[in-house]
Amino acid sequence: MDRNDSFREFVTAHQQSLMRTAYLLTGDAHLAEDLLQSVLLKVLGRWRRLSRIDNPEAYARKALLNQHISWRRRRAGAELPSTSPPERSYSSENTTVVRLVMRQALMRLPPRQRAVIVLRYYEDRTERETAELLGCSIGTVKSQAHHALARLRDLAPELAPKFAELETMQEGRR
Amino acid sequence: MTWLRDVLDDLADEAPHVDLAERTIAIHERRRQTAVSLIAAALVIVTALGATAAVRLLPAQPRPAANPGAVTDLPARGVGPLSHAYKTFCLPESGRAPAGCRDGEWRVVTRTGRTYRVPQALPSLDAYRSVGLRDSPLAISGDGRKIAYYGAREQTFVVRDLASGERLTAPAKIPEAWLGSVSHLLLSADGRFLAFTKNPALKDPAMIVDMRERMVRPLPNGWNPIGISDDGGTITLAQYSPKPRLRTMSRLWATSTAGNTTTADLPGSYFFSPLAPDGTTVMAIENLSTQTRPCRHGDLVRLDARTGKTLKTVPLRGLPADVSQISLRTWRGATEVTALTTSVRCRPASKDDGPAEPEERRDPPYLTMTAYAVDVGTGRARKIATYTAQGFFEIVLPGPAGAL
Repeated sequence: MDRNDSFREFVTAHQQSLMRTAYLLTGDAHLAEDLLQSVLLKVLGRWRRLSRIDNPEAYARKALLNQHISWRRRRAGAELPSTSPPERSYSSENTTVVRLVMRQALMRLPPRQRAVIVLRYYEDRTERETAELLGCSIGTVKSQAHHALARLRDLAPELAPKFAELETMQEGRR
Repeated sequence: MTWLRDVLDDLADEAPHVDLAERTIAIHERRRQTAVSLIAAALVIVTALGATAAVRLLPAQPRPAANPGAVTDLPARGVGPLSHAYKTFCLPESGRAPAGCRDGEWRVVTRTGRTYRVPQALPSLDAYRSVGLRDSPLAISGDGRKIAYYGAREQTFVVRDLASGERLTAPAKIPEAWLGSVSHLLLSADGRFLAFTKNPALKDPAMIVDMRERMVRPLPNGWNPIGISDDGGTITLAQYSPKPRLRTMSRLWATSTAGNTTTADLPGSYFFSPLAPDGTTVMAIENLSTQTRPCRHGDLVRLDARTGKTLKTVPLRGLPADVSQISLRTWRGATEVTALTTSVRCRPASKDDGPAEPEERRDPPYLTMTAYAVDVGTGRARKIATYTAQGFFEIVLPGPAGAL
């Protein structure tokens, strides 16, 4: 098996999971594909070394996060939500609308806060794992998560009760 | 599992389903070979300049001037026919960038040697320096009097008559994200029809636009447009990957839904010219490169654009032995096609991981490229011009480009 074959295997196994995260980070199918493409190029450039370590997927995921934050920094202001949220009030049980509102709200978070939300609440990472992936302290993860949830509550006031439940559950866990 | 987890999971279901393995491998191989070639070229240039300085006791010459005189923004009108256009990235890994360089910006050069910036065109993003991937294309009509580009302000394609200043914009806005990481633009001889395709193909359409009647028809993405008939009704496309193919699509503007499409698979790998003036054939140079023996080209062949059959093969003669990369460009009449060449020294791709990944590199150095007129009947080449650019993707000559 040559190195391209093992790389193909790696991509086949992990690309959809990475793409889902990329999509949550960028909120746009094209940007997500560009982001993942760029990360996979980076992975392939180092494949000879990476294929020998236990978990190349972790490297790819970390590169994805870093690349996203770095792109966002340079392309600040380039992202625009493509669909407007409904102007009338909506039910927090309507999943389509909730998804739309959440996407809008997520896209308005700074990149690092968005990454924390995705890692903590989508990938179910612990605070320690999140801190390692983002290269910051656990305290930073906690404060970023707190600020991000508060900002999401402001951006999507109709979902506030849901966020309140979430925070109550978290308090209970502590 | 929390409520938020469920919502994010639902949202993630919207993520596109793609297979990026083959595309990643192809892009990686291409960049690696280019990087190896360019680094070798830079070494050759540095050595040559050093030798010249030592022998003549003269300071090293500055980079050849592609832009004599002051460089100003493209005026609204009154600009003469163009010789070529080139794109500038400003941090070359060796040598100097042109004075007043702006990253990702196009410059056009007239036949009389005046150089203008084109700030009206959206700048490309630099894939080499982690700022994202976006290739903003530019095309020049065969007579050099019109240009087409993606207008930064218009958010769509614009065709501009350089002398009169007349501007035509495409009838619909096109998102910047559709430009992709490698974009191709073809402008018909009279500037009326504009074809746009890109790689990666993604799901959004490529298109051909009738700028005069303000109509648009979709085209397949992932192909290079290499020729269009005078009436805009037939387009010829070429593709390298996943396999070398030529495609002809006709009756593009017919009211019925489907035009006619013929696709021909080719037996070998080729560097394609634009569609020949006869409208039915394509010249190509056989690509004999392998992993261990890169930059090897074979004979000049004439292919039937519809069937892919080889109609004629002649050896290419008159090119210096050190020419390593060839890109077939503008037709100079019925029997001569332009071959743009570089003489970078190629060596086999390293078995190791290759150069540092592109995100960590500076931009490619500015290279001297030499253009030859190749007689397609005899295969004989004669030198006609030199240009300076960072690569074949960063230089545009008038008329349709061959496949890049």
